Amino acid sequence: MSTTTTRGIARPAPAKGSQARPRRGLRGNPTFNFWLFTGPFLIGLVIFVFVPIGWSIWLSFFDARFTVTPSNFIGFDNYKTVLTDPNFTGSLVTFTVFAAFIVPTTWALSLSLALLVHRLRFMRAFFRSVFFLPTACSYVAASLIWKMSLFNGVRFGLANTVIGWFGADQVAWLANPSPPWYWLVIVTLRLWLQAGFYMILFLAALQNIPSELYEAASIDGAKPGWQTFRYITLPQLRATSTAVILLLLVAAYQAFDEFFNLMGKATWGQPPLVILYKTAIGVNQDYGQGSAGAVILTLLICVVTLFQGKIMGFGRGEESK
Amino acid sequence: MTTTMPPVDQPRRTRRGSVIGNTGIYIAVGIAALLFLLPFYLIVRNSLMQDPEITGENWKWFPTHIQWSNVTEPFHDVTVDFGRSMINSAVVGVLMTVGTLLVCSLAGYGLARIPYRHANKVFYLVLATLMVPTAVTFVPSFVLVSSLGWVDTYRGLIIPGLFSGFTCFLFRQYFLGFPKELEEAARVDGLGYWGAYWRIVVPNSLNFFAAMATITFISGWNAFLWPLVIGQDPSAWTVQVALSSYMTNQTVNYHLIFMATAISILPLVFVFLFLQRWLVQGIAQTGIKG
Amino acid sequence: MSAMSNSNFSRRSIFRAAAGMAAAGTLAACGSNNGRGGGSGSGKQLVQYFHAYGEAGVEQAVKRYAKAYTKANVSTQWITGSNFENKLFPALLTKQAPDVFEFHPQIQLIKSGQVADLTDIIDPVKDDFNPADIKSHTVDGKIYGIRMIDDPQFFFYRKSMLEKANVPVPTTLDELIEAAAKLTTSKVKGLFLGNDLTPIQSNLIWSAGADTLNEKNEIAYHTDAVVAGLKQLRSLFTSGNLLLDAPADWWDPSALDQGLCAIQWGGLWGMPTMQKALGDDLGIFPFPKVGSNGKPSVTNGGWSMFVNAKGDNVEAAKEYVKWLWIDQKQYQEDFATSYGFHIPPRTSIAQQATKLKSGLPAEGVKLSNNYGHFDNIGWTQAMITALNDVIANCVRKNQSPEAALDACDKKVNRELKKLFG
Repeated sequence: MSTTTTRGIARPAPAKGSQARPRRGLRGNPTFNFWLFTGPFLIGLVIFVFVPIGWSIWLSFFDARFTVTPSNFIGFDNYKTVLTDPNFTGSLVTFTVFAAFIVPTTWALSLSLALLVHRLRFMRAFFRSVFFLPTACSYVAASLIWKMSLFNGVRFGLANTVIGWFGADQVAWLANPSPPWYWLVIVTLRLWLQAGFYMILFLAALQNIPSELYEAASIDGAKPGWQTFRYITLPQLRATSTAVILLLLVAAYQAFDEFFNLMGKATWGQPPLVILYKTAIGVNQDYGQGSAGAVILTLLICVVTLFQGKIMGFGRGEESK
Repeated sequence: MTTTMPPVDQPRRTRRGSVIGNTGIYIAVGIAALLFLLPFYLIVRNSLMQDPEITGENWKWFPTHIQWSNVTEPFHDVTVDFGRSMINSAVVGVLMTVGTLLVCSLAGYGLARIPYRHANKVFYLVLATLMVPTAVTFVPSFVLVSSLGWVDTYRGLIIPGLFSGFTCFLFRQYFLGFPKELEEAARVDGLGYWGAYWRIVVPNSLNFFAAMATITFISGWNAFLWPLVIGQDPSAWTVQVALSSYMTNQTVNYHLIFMATAISILPLVFVFLFLQRWLVQGIAQTGIKG
Repeated sequence: MSAMSNSNFSRRSIFRAAAGMAAAGTLAACGSNNGRGGGSGSGKQLVQYFHAYGEAGVEQAVKRYAKAYTKANVSTQWITGSNFENKLFPALLTKQAPDVFEFHPQIQLIKSGQVADLTDIIDPVKDDFNPADIKSHTVDGKIYGIRMIDDPQFFFYRKSMLEKANVPVPTTLDELIEAAAKLTTSKVKGLFLGNDLTPIQSNLIWSAGADTLNEKNEIAYHTDAVVAGLKQLRSLFTSGNLLLDAPADWWDPSALDQGLCAIQWGGLWGMPTMQKALGDDLGIFPFPKVGSNGKPSVTNGGWSMFVNAKGDNVEAAKEYVKWLWIDQKQYQEDFATSYGFHIPPRTSIAQQATKLKSGLPAEGVKLSNNYGHFDNIGWTQAMITALNDVIANCVRKNQSPEAALDACDKKVNRELKKLFG
């Protein structure tokens, strides 16, 4: 998604340095300045991100229950336990199903909203605000609304009230896994929270499509509507789409809050982070096993991201150097 | 707020087609908008009702008597200092936004623009942190931060969150697209990297900074798990923690919960309405748009 | 020159920002008044953790007791519901750990050296405690925690609704299922067992004549009667007569109070609220027997005080715990009966507790005495979680009970092996 490829602005010159520039002492020294600029960030990153990561990897080889300074080295036992735990392997399936559903749905919804809002001639700011507003809600707040008022299983839930008008019985939206209504609850919640943000990304991109392209197409006889969308709008949005899909995947992979708040003591609909959280931080306090799961998960996500990058061309800018 | 983006010229249509098309669009957008506003409606409805009305046998769209006294109720609650938690969230949100923007923009600029042999390696290290799930490094982080004595302090709530690989990544992408000519002119004028950055680059990137500020502030305001663990004493609770405490209380008090939710969302709604135009403009300039 | 002044300016602004942040941090540290770190004042600083009791006034009461203690400055952290473990356990890993905390007796806390041996302070009054409450806190002859309150859990029902539907009080699981069917209308569900049904998981085992673990700490729940009970529970779950996804879970009396269900699983603590809301229209009964060889059962849960053995102030903490939970009987009685109802584990206090002497509360105490099962210290959280999964998989989802129990056995055995070798 490098800007440089589409805009044709020179990429940052790497290593070769810039001898031609005037420089006075340290002020112009690239190496010194590089560390000056990135130093504070990197120091913080090392302390607050890399140290905990290293610590987790170390913990994953120990019998670390109720302690983060264990002494009982057990090799790969934690990894074996995690990989044979049906809850953990099941969570990977859950994540795959969830991602396969939420990513295309959010993509399509936010793109549709953007296309619609983009074509409005008046009240555009109003509608844009309406769709963007849910981004202001936290997962805590949204889970609360969904669980207590929208999709609760009793007569005063809005969903049950509405289906009651058509004579249907009260539905236990979350407690009963068959039929899996809980996906409806979780997906609508996430769509509501996220779609507006990605809509803004698409709106920004739509705004950048040169209008000459549409004029030219119309002169060439392209019909407005599907044809223009298919052959002009969509290709022009390719970079944004790629970025949005990547962001959605990362967000899906980090999914935690709504599952944690809504699903309770279920064995289904548990994404990996919820499982790991329950293993490590809940009452089980098995930091070794939790860390082992985290390491496995990290490796998986790295592989998937690299793979996705390869097929979708993300990061081309870097590779072509 | 005026429209910030001039509509792109639409393909020409017949007049009648455009009228029908427009009506159709407005109907579609209107329905979507109603659905998006529905949860907000529920918050307002429940927060201004009495509990028996909320839980009654028959659905009521509007409270028979609007309970305005509910508005102040969260602030009089003895178990949760809701007002304090709002102040905490505001302080945390603002300082976190300032800090993150400062630290991550500098790093993003360094990674994007300063020629250094190992810059790419450093960048990949930053990228790698995006892949690591936070749920488990969480406990070592907490132990680390608490051994610094930062439990129950703003420091503990704010500083560990400043070093966002994601924000740094976005800044780098943005600076990659920043017109080089401007900086070069500045440096010919005798400004070092540092001077060029503050004199030329930052003033010309305010839209993007505003966009990042909005996003950072939202995530700071809405963060839950970290503040829950760090804010052990109720005086250090953020508003999300206070909110969740209403939800898990043993006796559910609907109108109080929803009123607290409404109040917790309100500041962000204002932030949004004011910053939204910059957000759109800022994003239009990011690497994200490609 | 302009460059210099400019970079100076920006550097200064960074410093200012940094200093501002540090100052804000210090401010919070001072303002939070959490009773930690100070140390130089008079007396010791102690921190105690409580989960939030839902009844009005409990928090103020706990803080009032702490304030009355003169030998140390005790500050209280009042942590709401489901967040309790999430905060307690990470905190125990750190220097800011609580000195005193409430929890349930679980052997892994003892094996990991987390909680201090309290034998010397309990021993003198040992005979005054309910023997079951001593037993559930004893490992190898040492007592590790003080029971503060016993919380019996059983069924509450609306007498009027059962009369109207002509339903007798159920004495078997079959009758309970039948009653649920008869009591269900379009607006009211017959029965509420909690949103995920796990609150009654142990009762299903006990009422089927089995137990979680036997005396030798081996699996005792995997019997044919339990399998049959799980199948019955499954039929109840799919019948549509259970209240599910209630906004307030089983520990809150709302479901019954608001008329969402006719029978609800709940705790003695909720009884005052229910009586206030429903008056005489309220009855109780134990979890009925499962199968022909079963026996009704009641869960005797509760909360106990522990001293953090890894803390800096173990002795001072023990002294405080002794003062409040051994010596101060009027506080103990106040805590047990003035807010929600709990049974005091000490006989001498239970005998004085007039509020539990008559009417429905007395019936509750009787159920607890006749059918109560206390905590088993060897039945740990990991095992409870494994059993939660059984309920989820074979009652809410359609897995066969045998397969679900087998998977549970595997996990419980691994845990048992870790704990007992």
